[in-house]
Formats: sequence, C-alpha cells, structure tokens
Amino acid sequence: MTDSANSEARVPEPYDVHDLCRPFLSSLPVSGASVTVVTASGARMTLCSSDAIAARIDELQFELGEGPQSSVALSGQIVIVPDVASRGHDDWPVLGAALGELPVGAIFCVPIQMGAVTVGVATLYCDKPLALNNHQQTTALAIASAIAGGAVQHAMVSAIDDAAVESPTAPALRREVHQATGILLVQLNTTATIAYARLQAYAFANGRTLQSVAHDVVAGSLTFDDTPRDNTFP
Amino acid sequence: MMMTTETRETKLSAAFVKLADTLVTDFDVVDLLHWLVEKCTEILDTQAGGIMLADPTGQLQLVASTSEEAELVEIFQLAAGAGPCLDCFRTGTPVTVGDLEADGGRWPTFSTEALKLGFRSVHATPLRLRGQFVGTMNLFSHHTGALIAEDIAVAQALADVATIGLLQERHLRNANLVAEQLQRALDSRILIEQAKGVLATTMSTTMNDAFTTMRTYARDRNLPLRQVADDIIGRRIDVRKRTTS
Repeated sequence: MTDSANSEARVPEPYDVHDLCRPFLSSLPVSGASVTVVTASGARMTLCSSDAIAARIDELQFELGEGPQSSVALSGQIVIVPDVASRGHDDWPVLGAALGELPVGAIFCVPIQMGAVTVGVATLYCDKPLALNNHQQTTALAIASAIAGGAVQHAMVSAIDDAAVESPTAPALRREVHQATGILLVQLNTTATIAYARLQAYAFANGRTLQSVAHDVVAGSLTFDDTPRDNTFP
Repeated sequence: MMMTTETRETKLSAAFVKLADTLVTDFDVVDLLHWLVEKCTEILDTQAGGIMLADPTGQLQLVASTSEEAELVEIFQLAAGAGPCLDCFRTGTPVTVGDLEADGGRWPTFSTEALKLGFRSVHATPLRLRGQFVGTMNLFSHHTGALIAEDIAVAQALADVATIGLLQERHLRNANLVAEQLQRALDSRILIEQAKGVLATTMSTTMNDAFTTMRTYARDRNLPLRQVADDIIGRRIDVRKRTTS
C-alpha cells in the first residue's frame, strides 16, 4: 500500500528548503526536480528547483497557465510523459512546443499529498526519454508525501514574511509578477485578472519570461498604458 | 451447522463489501462504528456490543453501543478504570473472558455489574493500525464460552478495516485544515503584492513605501492587512486620503 510506503520514507529534520528536491534525485533516475505548492484557488509557490532546466519547466507552467502540474493539482494523479518529443500534447500545446527547445526527454508530475488532499506537485525531468516503472512511481509518490509537511511549512513561513528573498532556483511566489499585476491594473484601469492576462500575453508574444517583463514593469522601464492591443495579442 | 456457516460467510462477505463501499465515500464516523458493532454482534452471535475510542488525551470514551445494557456495562468499566476492554486497549491485543463468573476476579466491579445485566462472557478486540491503538470493540454474550479463534479473527478483520477508515478520516480532516491555511497564506501574500503595485503607481512611490503606507493604514484602523490590500486592488479605498505623519 502506498500509505505504508509513505510513512517509511522519512525526511531528516531540520532540513533546508533544497532538501525537498534532493530525495527524488537520489532515489530515481531523473536529471532534476522542482517542488511547488499549489492551492485550490490556483495560487502557487515554487519552493526549490535542483537546476536551471527544472526551474524553467516549472516557470513555463506558471507563465503559460497550462501543463501537467495543473492537472495533477486537480486530479491528485501522477502524470508520466516518457517521451516529450513524441507526442502532440493536446492538453498543453504551447508548453509542449516550449519544452521542445529544452534538453528534456521525459517529465513526471507527482502529486504532493497530505491524506487525500493534494497540496503541491513535484516535477521531475530526465534529459532523455524515460518511463518510470510501477516501483519507481510508488517511490516518487512516497517521497512526495513524505515531504508534504515540510513543503507546506516552508511555503507558509515564506508567504507571511514581508521581506522574503527570492532566488533564481527558488523563485518562491514570484512577488514581482504580482506587483506588476497591481501596476498594470492601474495603467490599464482594469481588474487584477485581466492585468495578469495582459502581462502573460505580452511575455509570450515577445518571447520573454514573465519574470523579466514583470521586473521591467516594476522598474518603470515598461509601461502598458500606450501599448497597442495588436502587440499584446498576436 | 452447515447452514449456519454459510449464512455467516454470506453475512461476513456482505459486511466487507459494505465497509469497502463506505470507506470510498464521505462517511460519518459514528454511523460507521454503530454499523460495525451491530454487524459484529450479529455475525458472532453475541447479544450486545460497544465501541470505545481514545480521545486526544488518550482517555477511552464510549462512542457506540447496541443496547442500553451494553452502554451501562461499558460505562461501569470506564468508571472503575478496570475491565477486559481497558486491558485490551492498553495491550493492543484481544481479551476473551469465556466465563465472567469463574474468571472475572481480575476486574471485580466490572464483572459484578456485567453479570447483573445478564452478560456471562465478553470479548474485546483492539482497534489498531500499524502500532497505533485508537480504541476497542467489545462484544457481550448471555452465554458462557470463549470465542473460537476463527471468530476472533473475523472480529479483528472487520475492526481493522473500520480502523483504516477511521484513521484516514482523521488524517483527512487535519490535511484539509492545513490546505486551507496554506491557501489563505498564499492568497494574502498575492493580494498584498498586487496592492503594493497599485499603490506604487497611484502614489508614484517605491514598493517599500507603498507597503509601509498600506500597513500604517491597516494598523491605524485596526484592519487586517489582507482586507486593506483587497480594498486597494478593488479601488474601494484611497489610502492617500490619510495625512502621513
């Protein structure tokens, strides 16, 4: 039973936030991992990424608002993509295309669960195509459940910290993106939801990361009040 | 004899099907335990039964019983602080007393009361899962005679499945609470960062100053920061109206 495997996969305490990724790398034949908490409201916080590619796979899903992470967060079921290049990825076509430009062969999204509640997703990748067998999937699920408490704890501590520092491999909540959303909703005289969509669209249309666009908006070097519509929606 | 066995096997397999069905849906713990003790009483041909669960301090509490007599005998046992069910809970192993009159001397108060109520034998089954003892299920009979090994196994099997459901439900309740707290913390932070962006633009100031203004506004009015942030984003308040000191 998964349940008994969960209780046996222990994470030593106290541990650093990067330790949340480490057990996946030491127990499974994967190249990298990221750990993200996701709430029912869709809010998400990346806690750690083991390398820049893992960080980008996670960031792309945040930026595009599509990808296996969201379906795992909703369904609580593991998603295995053994060969990223071989499929059309009907569920996430834009992400599929973006992944094609990264040295990524396979992706696995593992639900991080407390009991029956999914509190986050661990995203693992391998630089070549790879299928996880049943035993490896059980291991991945067991590790994910074992780190659930630590992940939630780190996320809460970081969320309530007014001066939390965000680093490239632990972009956390991406505070600048939310600040930029606030700036845009004033510039465009609209709601936060639409302002955020405009920010997303601009980044995508210009082939830039959401964070770099947000950074420019916060710095004041990019304003949206005079941006023509056809520039934001190709 | 053949007939009885078949009937019992049919009842038992129906009981397991019902348990499995219950555990995959939303279920009420008390209803589940009532059903369990009634079913076991019936299948094992005893006349009464009760279930006691440990509360958060580790004290046993009666949560289900099939009759007033069963309730009384359980309450006497809890009040006396001694009895086969308490021993069962402490040790995590089944306790069978085939003849309370002959063999009830270990718990004089309990045995006297049980006999007065017409019970001659008792069997206590631990509710346990992986070393965690959560309570006991106790079956009382008007006749003497210990439960045979097969019956003990049946009682334990039903109790084990019910315990899994019980512990999952407890775990789930905690997990939901944690998930709600996490959601609230992340949503609050997102609102605060968005509100900083709104203020920084409308006031032509830095994010830090925007935050300080927002926090001062909230503190002066004794309002939660999250609510002030939400009102700023919805443009329902203008924090600039306040003269900054």
